[in-house]
Amino acid sequence: MSTSTIMKNSLNRAAMGGLLLGGFLSIAYAQEFIQDLGNSTVVAEQSTETILDGLRKDEELQAEKLDRKISTTIAETIKNEPDIAIRSMGPAAARPVIKGLSGNHVAITEDGSFCGDMSATSPDHAVASEVLTAHKLRITRGPQILMQSFATAGGVIQVEHNDIPFEIARSQGAPTQSAAVSNTQIHGYIADYAESGQPGFATVIGASGYIQRLSLKGELSARNMSDMKTPKGSLKNTEIENKSIAIGAAYTFERFKFGASFRTFYSDYGIPGGFIGGHPNGVDIELSKRDLTLRGLYLPAQKSSDTLSVTFRLNQYHHTEYETKEYVGAEFAVNQENVRIEKFIAQSGPFFGIHIGGEFDIRSIEMGGYVFTPPTNSYAASLFSVASLNGWRNGLEITLSARLGGVLFRPRESVVADKDAIEDRNFALWAIAAEFSQRVAPGKFLTLDVFRTTRAPTIKELYNQGPHLAAYTYERGNHKLDAESGYGAELEFRDYGEIINWRAAIHSTWFLNHLAPRATGDTNWSQILPIYQVSGDDALLMGANASIETAAETGFYAQAGASYVCGFYQNENWSDMPQIPPFHFHGEIAYIWQHVRAGINTEFALAQNRVDRYEQRTPGYITFGASLEFHWSLKLAHYSIVLRGDNLFNANVRNHLSRLKSVMSEKGRNVSILAKAEF
Amino acid sequence: MKKIHFLAIAIFTFIFAACGDSNSTSTEQHEHFEVEGWTLYSAEWDTLYSVYRGKEVSKLPGLKVNANCMSAHIHVKFLDENKKEIAGPNDNEHSLGWEVGNKKILDIEWEGGWGFHLKGLKEGETTLILKVKHHDHADAKTPEIKVVVDKALDADKCPFQEDEDHDHEHEHHHEK
Repeated sequence: MSTSTIMKNSLNRAAMGGLLLGGFLSIAYAQEFIQDLGNSTVVAEQSTETILDGLRKDEELQAEKLDRKISTTIAETIKNEPDIAIRSMGPAAARPVIKGLSGNHVAITEDGSFCGDMSATSPDHAVASEVLTAHKLRITRGPQILMQSFATAGGVIQVEHNDIPFEIARSQGAPTQSAAVSNTQIHGYIADYAESGQPGFATVIGASGYIQRLSLKGELSARNMSDMKTPKGSLKNTEIENKSIAIGAAYTFERFKFGASFRTFYSDYGIPGGFIGGHPNGVDIELSKRDLTLRGLYLPAQKSSDTLSVTFRLNQYHHTEYETKEYVGAEFAVNQENVRIEKFIAQSGPFFGIHIGGEFDIRSIEMGGYVFTPPTNSYAASLFSVASLNGWRNGLEITLSARLGGVLFRPRESVVADKDAIEDRNFALWAIAAEFSQRVAPGKFLTLDVFRTTRAPTIKELYNQGPHLAAYTYERGNHKLDAESGYGAELEFRDYGEIINWRAAIHSTWFLNHLAPRATGDTNWSQILPIYQVSGDDALLMGANASIETAAETGFYAQAGASYVCGFYQNENWSDMPQIPPFHFHGEIAYIWQHVRAGINTEFALAQNRVDRYEQRTPGYITFGASLEFHWSLKLAHYSIVLRGDNLFNANVRNHLSRLKSVMSEKGRNVSILAKAEF
Repeated sequence: MKKIHFLAIAIFTFIFAACGDSNSTSTEQHEHFEVEGWTLYSAEWDTLYSVYRGKEVSKLPGLKVNANCMSAHIHVKFLDENKKEIAGPNDNEHSLGWEVGNKKILDIEWEGGWGFHLKGLKEGETTLILKVKHHDHADAKTPEIKVVVDKALDADKCPFQEDEDHDHEHEHHHEK
């Protein structure tokens, strides 16, 4: 049976995906799978992950695939991935939504640890991470979610900066089975991005190298973009100014590796104004984040793949919202410390790819200005484990995972808070997931995920009681809220053929006490703001997604994907849930030469008429785009230029998940260029 | 090798020290003054404008002034959740604020307290938003109030003269 190169790449990835930690062990089915498709070049002794996880790694955005999609924010960059939508409030304040779930249902991590910002708590809070500095973006699905979060119904967006340059240290350090060893002594990169839809630029320059056993990394980035241009004209107060600095070091000493990194991120961006209750000129938000990360790895002599890692992250986040240049509307200061211990075992008994670990987290949040949440300390602890096994049935792999823990909230007295609402709250949390992946024929997989999801209410959901000017809402928490929980399942089919690869999935989650702020229809007349109240309701969320692409590495290429989700509250009418994205489709046709790729694409969303009480309907849209890419290598350096035209016919696009949709179109015609060099 | 050990320790120490500064808020949280409505009275305590829970009372004279002229003193009172009239906060933290839609048409003359004068600059119509300022932000605000600036008059023909205002202030004691 003949197989395309791309297919071989996928299969190699499937079998070799566990190389990161040097492991690889026993995945008889991977070998069989490869042989089925005629690839005998890969010899897989053992694996540290399932075939499915290996295939999922093919879907990560990195290298040219990431360059092709890079945009203003992380959310904008991954918006056409399956099940992804964008919750936004202007171009800077954009956060990914997964399967219609937003906020704390979607965790964002940077280099494996939490991304310390407040983007989950409010739509006007930006994600404190510069997308241009990401080397890889991965959407974690399935049981692996429980390694980072209790919210298995949602997902985890993993951003990799590689701030601690362990990969370089490895080449000089302890022995490893990894084939991904680089002999390069100095690695550098520079990338520049510019666009017309929000005129401005973004740039990143970084370098890493090693001196004997010491590896170093340094990186600078800057973004400066002016007001966004919509089909209705320029939208005032949507400018973005970001800066980031990262330094990191890794040191290898016998069977130990030590690493440290420091990353600082600063952003100054605007939220447009002129809406009911909002400031006429909008709100300016300044945020800064500092992350100190220390990481230690121990590689046992007898089995260097069975690593023990300890990670400590100290995070300081400061956020100020200015109504005018001198008036502070809101201020937040967050200090968070997190310790994560994780043991990886390549194989033990019938299990392989075992992760066992624990996390302890202390978080203190202070508020100032016009914020009506009491300062609160929280303490969280959790244990997690993920393990896979096979051998019960030909072609069946099972992954089991669990996360068990709790969180304690300790609010402090405050002049702004309702005295009765200042109540200590404790939540015990547990979530489990199981994934059954059956190879039903060569290159064909049927996968069933079943899970229990949960999450504790946030500080804001529990204790907030007042206006949020930047979000143009008056928000009421409820200190009596219980934890959210739910049970769900997802059924997926994947087919890797000679000419095309396709996958389709359906999913459903039954939520018990789904926590969400819902418009009450009332108004706070002092501030003239609509009142949103956090409520816990039983709800059913269902959806489907499908994608298809050709397998050829050169020549004609086509790809298409669509996602749909709907949600209902359990009441007499099974009323619709709020903030559910409409049906979304994205398709692309391209032709690929050795160094050049040219394509055209389209994206459309249907109107969203399934809305919650007091929520506005949103019309559908269709946009067309084109892209032209050049990639080539010359004298030890790799160069890329990506030219992209989005929304070429200047369509009036309204995002259903934008708080500003009633008065604000999304970006209009946009021509962008990314130029990148790596050496 | 010792040099590398030393360099590694120095770099790690530098990275650790970089995150040593404290992180706390620079502004304090404050209690706020909540109201459900506003009433504006003329110097003679006739109701000029009233709004409660976003609904303006119709058939009231509204706010008017001639260009080139200043209006008589306008008193500001507030309505609580029971529609009961209350006075503005009597402290140093709160004060009257405003936002004029077209500053070429209208200006506001404020002498402290919960009252103000309209100052007509040019004939036309504009809007006024009154606020209860509290430190750097507004605790409460009105919807946009329509203000009519009538034709310009010579200064000596303006209906209100500045010393009249002071007389009214002393004569009227609002009992509501």
